Amino acid sequence: MLASFAFLLLPQDPLATVRAAETQRVALMASCAPAVCSVMSMDAPGGGSGVVFAPAGFVLTNYHVVGEPDKEWGPPKPPAGTDAEQAAWRAEHVPPGKRHYRNKKVGLPDGELYEAIVLGIDPGSDLAVLRLLPKRAGQTFAHRPLGDSDRLLVGEAVFAMGNPFSLATDFTPTVTAGIVSATHRYQPGSGDRMLVYPDCIQVDAPVNPGNSGGPLFNQRGEVVGINGRISIGDRGRVNVGVGFAIASNQIRNFLADLLAGRHTEHGTLDISAWFMTGGSADERKRGVFVQSLFGDSLAAKAGIALGDELLRFDGIEIRSANQLATLVGVLPAGAWVEVGYRPRTESGGFGDERAVVLPLSRLDTGSSRDGVDARLASRAERRLATAAIAASWPARSNSEAAVRWQCRAPDGMTFVAIAAGDQLRLERSGLVLVRDGDRGSFVRDKSGVRDANADEAELLRRFARAQPLLRAADATHLPEGALLTGGIHVLGAPAFRFELPGDGEAETWWFADGTPAGCVFRDPVRRAKVEWHLRGERVRVVIDGKLEPGWSGSMVAAVPFDPTLFARQP
Amino acid sequence: MTRVLAGHRLAIVVVCTAAIPAQDFGKAYAFAERAPASRLERTIDGLLPSIVKIHGASGLSTIDAAASGVIVSKDGHILTIDQILLQPERTRVVLFDGSVHQAELLPADERFGVRLLKIDPKALTSELRPLWPAPVDIQSGQFAISLGNCFRLAEFSEKVSATFGVVVGRANTALRYRMAEVKYDGDVILTDACNNPGHYGGGLFALDGRWLGLNLRLLDSKETNTMLSAAIPAIDLLPYLDEQLHGKRRAEAPAPAGKPWFGAMLFDQAGRQSPPAYVERVLPNSPAAQLALRADDMIVRLDDFSIRTCREFREILAKFQPGQKVKVTWKRGTQVLTGEVELATEPAK
Repeated sequence: MLASFAFLLLPQDPLATVRAAETQRVALMASCAPAVCSVMSMDAPGGGSGVVFAPAGFVLTNYHVVGEPDKEWGPPKPPAGTDAEQAAWRAEHVPPGKRHYRNKKVGLPDGELYEAIVLGIDPGSDLAVLRLLPKRAGQTFAHRPLGDSDRLLVGEAVFAMGNPFSLATDFTPTVTAGIVSATHRYQPGSGDRMLVYPDCIQVDAPVNPGNSGGPLFNQRGEVVGINGRISIGDRGRVNVGVGFAIASNQIRNFLADLLAGRHTEHGTLDISAWFMTGGSADERKRGVFVQSLFGDSLAAKAGIALGDELLRFDGIEIRSANQLATLVGVLPAGAWVEVGYRPRTESGGFGDERAVVLPLSRLDTGSSRDGVDARLASRAERRLATAAIAASWPARSNSEAAVRWQCRAPDGMTFVAIAAGDQLRLERSGLVLVRDGDRGSFVRDKSGVRDANADEAELLRRFARAQPLLRAADATHLPEGALLTGGIHVLGAPAFRFELPGDGEAETWWFADGTPAGCVFRDPVRRAKVEWHLRGERVRVVIDGKLEPGWSGSMVAAVPFDPTLFARQP
Repeated sequence: MTRVLAGHRLAIVVVCTAAIPAQDFGKAYAFAERAPASRLERTIDGLLPSIVKIHGASGLSTIDAAASGVIVSKDGHILTIDQILLQPERTRVVLFDGSVHQAELLPADERFGVRLLKIDPKALTSELRPLWPAPVDIQSGQFAISLGNCFRLAEFSEKVSATFGVVVGRANTALRYRMAEVKYDGDVILTDACNNPGHYGGGLFALDGRWLGLNLRLLDSKETNTMLSAAIPAIDLLPYLDEQLHGKRRAEAPAPAGKPWFGAMLFDQAGRQSPPAYVERVLPNSPAAQLALRADDMIVRLDDFSIRTCREFREILAKFQPGQKVKVTWKRGTQVLTGEVELATEPAK
């Protein structure tokens, strides 16, 4: 089937255009093929496919291709050496957790067979990440980047690559082409591991057993999906023109966890919704309504009750229960979301629209039973992943050395705050409070300059907590010793979490493009765990798991450093 | 209609209330999309509002409880394949905007196995986008887009599925002899744009959006384990549409000139399985006699139709007209013999 339809635009010389399009198509597919691999187990027949998405040899595939950890397989063994050397080796190379995967065999189209370590798994939506073990020092692998699956449109030409029916014994991939048949399909889970496809791409490119885990490419050669599932008719387990690929943008939401070797956790609102379509005359009777929810769920605690109408999810209008399942299904547990709803009143009507911000709970996928949920890759693996992520970021320089934002004091008054280094300045209608690190605080108003009193010093100390935010917002590169530890959803976008050396609680968060996404630290004043969520100019602060209303919703911006702002004498 | 979409704690249930007046539920599924760019994307985007999802009487959430249809009038006429799920009072049509409408059944066309549904135009909040068959020169190898709700993947305002391929050819479904459950025995368009359960009644279109055909059930041969995606040429359905929508009477088909007669009595026993077509007796002055058929000859072929049983012989013979020439192949001992003969008219009994 033809994958490129450019020649259909009424050419002057049809055949020349057809040939040109074919040449282009062949070149495109040839450029994608080296990144496509066959994934096999050491001990089981058959196999699936995968795609290398980073030069360090990280491979995306399906969870159902990787399977469960081997029950009989122990942790990796250290090389011969003294006890101390072996202990050091174990600390570096043995992942925590009870159960371990045997390495997989991965064949690349150059005909070479590699061993690959299983890193993270995502049984909830059928993904896994492997890392190819290089055969020589400094080896990099041909790879294709992830694309933007939300740009896909029905009718767009796509092609699948992989090793269906294990046809290729030399690992050269099979190419099948077709169109996007539909986007945002919700496919319910199958099997006791769920394997829900909450937001998948439906394609008519033939996808067959063995294609599982292989990439779906767009016409720019970007990976827009991972082929994992097909609908079948009466013809047995082979293609009938209805294949499903896990959307790349859903994969991004779990990629940090997968690279860190974690077992991902999917989010849920703990709400059963139902969709009523009837009753045009009666405005109250159509829409998506809360049918049941758990009394101890976060949604219930946030105020959502039975019968309430659900209107919006993170700003997107909810039009059907199916769509809500799609929106929630692509998010990890712990992602903070905003739910807009209309509460049901006692008279049977509905009140005004409200919005609550709450974190998604953990969806029980039935996988906690066998102890694979506590997975984390070894420090050595996470070090490699950290280096690979940092290497993908563009070099950034930062001419701004101060941060400005709006904050609200406990009395409800709003200040404009500016922080630089350990200096902090709060300003409100002619009143200026400045804290010059531990060197002292002063206040300037119409009547002049004086030292801060106890209340004012306390207020400044309270907002001095912004120092880590400043470091985060201002940072141009990952701090020394940072180690990938998982993922976090920050104000609607996936970010990488890196743990920092020290007390083991401090973290720095970064988006995939290399911009800071926030941080975690232990507040020395309140002894509380503070999370800063930072995206663009938006800030959200979570203290000990609770949203801090005084901070959230503030706008933050990096600004040039002006020493006069912090000077006692203007 | 109830469907559990996710197990465990996140159980989401889609429920339709019993009374189903129409309502506007927004234009399309609420995900932001880029504008269509390529010709194919634009064509599909333009056609989707004319395709409907059909739900009817059948088991809960089974695949066959769903079908597709094509809007053919602004007054709410929808063309689909006639099937068991279309029952009075229980047939519902879901438009592109996600609104649900009770549909009335109009008389079916027995020959083509298609049926018009009618929804109440007064209940509509947006104008329907009807399609109408136009004469199209259908060429093997031309591109084809197939639209329909296969496997009932789309609910409410979610878009139906699009598959893409080429027209493989045109064939007469008589060729599909022994293939199961094909009501229609006329010309079909064969395509490699995949057709699946639920896709039936949707449309097959050219790349420029012209309506080529109405998607048929899969043509299925248990014998060769092949399935073909096919569509009835839309233009062939024009007389039915004109009759139902515009009250035009169809031209009467010429009266059949009697039944074809071959004149070989077969060794046919009553029983569940029809035996092979062994000749028991050849009637004098019959076409069989002209070919010098004898008792114990086994007829194995009439023209291009292979004959395995007495029943098949009768059924195939009925497809011919008296006076038509037919090539007969039969087996005598280890020999295979052929001959051509003109069929006669069945004599009055």
